[in-house]
Amino acid sequence: MMTLFGDPTIWLPHVFAGLMGLSILIYVVLDGFDLGVGMLVSQVDDADKDRMISSIGPFWDANETWLVLAIGLLLVAFPIAHGAILTALYLPVALMLFGLILRGVAFEFRAKVGHVQKKHWNRLFFLGSLITALTQGFMLGFYIMGLEWSAQNILFSCLIALCLTAAYILVGACWLILKMEGELQQRAVSWAQKTLMVTISGMGAVSLATPLVSPRIFDKWFSFPELLILAPLPVATGALFLVLFFLLKHMPFKNDHYAWAPLILTVGIFVMGFAGLAYSFYPFVVPEKLAIYEAAAAPESLIIILVGGLVVIPVIIGYSIFAYTVFGGKARTLRYD
Amino acid sequence: MLFGYRRVSNRVHTMATFLVAFGTTMSAFWIIALNSWMHTPTGFEMRDGVAFATDWWAIIFNPSMPYRLTHVLLSSGLTVAFVITGISAYRWLRNDRTASVRAALKTGTTIAAVLIPLQIFAGDLHGLNTLEHQPQKVAAMEGNWETGGNVPLLLFAVPNKETRTNDFALKVPNGASLILKHDIEGVVPGLNDYVADDGTILHPPVRQVFWAFRIMVGTGFAMLALSWFAAFLFWRKGEIGPWTARTFVAMTFSGWLATLAGWYTTEIGRQPWLVSGVLATKDAGSDVSSGMVLTTLIAYLVIYTALTLAYVMTLLFIARKAGRVGPIRPLPADPHPNYKPAIVPAE
Repeated sequence: MMTLFGDPTIWLPHVFAGLMGLSILIYVVLDGFDLGVGMLVSQVDDADKDRMISSIGPFWDANETWLVLAIGLLLVAFPIAHGAILTALYLPVALMLFGLILRGVAFEFRAKVGHVQKKHWNRLFFLGSLITALTQGFMLGFYIMGLEWSAQNILFSCLIALCLTAAYILVGACWLILKMEGELQQRAVSWAQKTLMVTISGMGAVSLATPLVSPRIFDKWFSFPELLILAPLPVATGALFLVLFFLLKHMPFKNDHYAWAPLILTVGIFVMGFAGLAYSFYPFVVPEKLAIYEAAAAPESLIIILVGGLVVIPVIIGYSIFAYTVFGGKARTLRYD
Repeated sequence: MLFGYRRVSNRVHTMATFLVAFGTTMSAFWIIALNSWMHTPTGFEMRDGVAFATDWWAIIFNPSMPYRLTHVLLSSGLTVAFVITGISAYRWLRNDRTASVRAALKTGTTIAAVLIPLQIFAGDLHGLNTLEHQPQKVAAMEGNWETGGNVPLLLFAVPNKETRTNDFALKVPNGASLILKHDIEGVVPGLNDYVADDGTILHPPVRQVFWAFRIMVGTGFAMLALSWFAAFLFWRKGEIGPWTARTFVAMTFSGWLATLAGWYTTEIGRQPWLVSGVLATKDAGSDVSSGMVLTTLIAYLVIYTALTLAYVMTLLFIARKAGRVGPIRPLPADPHPNYKPAIVPAE
């Protein structure tokens, strides 16, 4: 089988880079919506908090397994890059973990404690979601700037932290448009409208910054004929954005028509942004320093992980689809039966 | 299990419950395989300072793996058994004498009484395996400085790394030789064999390993005494008394205590190595500044201390609430009677 694909020290790292990228994309979309909902609960009263949280109850920790999978793949498939990236991102990663810990614990405890304590856990749930979103945005910005500490890079990373947080709120609001009814659904539409602008500005900032940071990336985008071949990417992103913009202006529709559309369109925008980043950074896993085949583990190790991955990943996708089917439809009051 | 009783059939729900157990066990399996390899690495070769896998079977089923896995799985069962008995005894003491509380007490006691002798046996085998592969760890556990026969078992001592002897030792003559070699003249390795000619210490810090080991073993024997005594009471009288119940409450978190002490024993006992004989801990650190590592360590400690307190308080709150509400709690009326779940469960 190895000869079929040529050199395993080249194709195996590519397969793993693909799997890792897919895990990150799925994570950003899936945990994005439940982090977004986690931040939006601060806007509503206690009864609505329960309704909103019940809409993510069966999914949120399965969503977070994609982050574990992505970091796990980075560790086992690209150990040198794992060391370099996580050392550079040590502080934001630690902060993100605090956020994830607080959020996960608050999620479980708020449903079990008395009335007074529930308020505190609700606050921690919001805070944990916010910290997680902000630190992930910071890490994205910092990665784009080449993982180097400087005042300018920190400023840019903080900007991206705000934009990714807005993007998570956007996808969270779109999830709520699908899962909520009545007044709460209407509020979700207005949340989505407000954060759509910030999200698009953030994508614009990333699109501008990425080629400016690296002449290599500049050449990959702005030379002929690449410019023409790549044109559909920004054009499609713009089209998705415009459709979403006008759709949100008129939502909700009678009989809840198109309640799913904002979520699909937002996911589309996320996929476009991800594709752009993936194209820019390929073949590097540590920006401009370490290519995927330079950072990869030995083929003997990768092949056994690949076998495991080919068993585990379809199972994860399978049970995720099953869970989303079983818990489909509008979310009702919080109950776990 | 956690949720979804009404949305899927009983069969699917039961299957999901078993899958949770299966998945958790698989998780333990792989974590222990990795950790055990760090203690007893096999199935690899070094090329230019990097370990390359040569035999996956030998890597996964490395010499200490079966022992450690058995020990860890039994410890999970014991931890749960004592949490169940502890909380049930707490409810029982608050005059919640319902059938469910009795059943939980009895079940927890039975599980503990069955698992703890198995655990002591498995722990002994694990210790003998450690003696074979990591003798310096056993030397630290026993507080034995000089290799030789007729080594006493130390019930209490304060190992002194300056004088390389034990202060305030309370000994059982020949005990360690008997336990480790099943012979009073059996030769037990000593820590002094693991000091290089230039004075470099190649054995773990003694006091920590020595005491962590005693906390684990002591807790284990307390578990044995309590669970067998309670099982005896259940057998003869069908009921435990208030003092047994209070002891169960005091032992609620004994599983965690013993488990943590056991992990401290084995992990500190591996020092100064991260991977025994392959990678020293001091060579494995990252470039992150020690100040930053210390800051985050303190933050983790603060968060986990707060969360542990919250956990205990919430557990007690739920235990009290369960007593107030009573044993049978009908599901609340469906606020949306017209709402039909996608799949109608069997009754």
